[in-house]
Amino acid sequence: MTDELLVVRAQLGEQPAMTELVARWRVPVWTYVRRMLDAERADDVSQEIWLAVVRGLPRLREPDRFAPWLFMIARRSVIDRLRGQYARERREFAAGDVVTDDPVEAMMDRAELISALSALPLLEREVLVLFYLEDMPVEDCAQICQVPAGTVKSRLARARRLLRAHLEEKGFRR
Amino acid sequence: MNEEEPRLSAAELIERLEPSLAPRRRVRAVAALLAGLAGTVFLAALWGSEPGPLPGRTNLAFALFTAFCLAWAGYGGWLLGRRVPLFATDRVIAAWIALAASVTTTAIVAVVAAQRGSGLGVALSTGGLFVAVSAALAVRAHARRAALLRRKRELTGGAES
Repeated sequence: MTDELLVVRAQLGEQPAMTELVARWRVPVWTYVRRMLDAERADDVSQEIWLAVVRGLPRLREPDRFAPWLFMIARRSVIDRLRGQYARERREFAAGDVVTDDPVEAMMDRAELISALSALPLLEREVLVLFYLEDMPVEDCAQICQVPAGTVKSRLARARRLLRAHLEEKGFRR
Repeated sequence: MNEEEPRLSAAELIERLEPSLAPRRRVRAVAALLAGLAGTVFLAALWGSEPGPLPGRTNLAFALFTAFCLAWAGYGGWLLGRRVPLFATDRVIAAWIALAASVTTTAIVAVVAAQRGSGLGVALSTGGLFVAVSAALAVRAHARRAALLRRKRELTGGAES
């Protein structure tokens, strides 16, 4: 059953559909939250996100856009926890980065990626999590992060560069 | 690094969301809002159509009761706006209950006003406004539910699930 059908049924008030939606998206949401926050807060924030989803679902106008909407809510909750850090990094990013339009093609090894992720700055980490771990298209990442698609691509490029440097450094030391 | 898992299982998470999904809570919210509004209109109509000046203590009692009803209406509105989701089918039911409550309250207030011989116009126009708003809500709720049902049929290829 597609997400859209589940959302439509949940919006009609069918509780099994809501349960199925939660079961289906529980781990992806938690994964995003966990990669952005520490383990202590990940469960509480995930629960808070799901409460907001349940309350907001009747007002969702595009049931076929459930996943981006869900991650927008998730991102809002994460930002609430990391407000200061986000603002600081946004300023630094705007000041110091050259926007490049790299095509996003190289797929990374998942385990390596997860271990290296925590070392990345927030803005790069969040697009990397959404793009690689959640398999979101660039357009959806852009909608979720509320930036143009070009910015998502440049953040991805920068994130890959940082990751590569990080992994090379680890390899060099080994 | 080990692949971690959420500490809450799907069942536990659903259980924690239960208060927001429980039908009882939705009924309570709708009931609080409608009873509060109906009570406010009824008391305000009685108060306004009292013949002659009222003693201070009676005025105070009317004011207190009206405020009490307004508080219930506010609580119900807050619950529905911020805490309890009303899904499409709930909205249809809630709109019909609102329409029934509006018609009943208007009728009672109009009868009282007619017996007292004052305030009938105000009672009918205020009641009419409530009836019109709840009728509009009912139409909108039906349209939304019909659109969702149509989409559900399209997605299931016409087969009812």
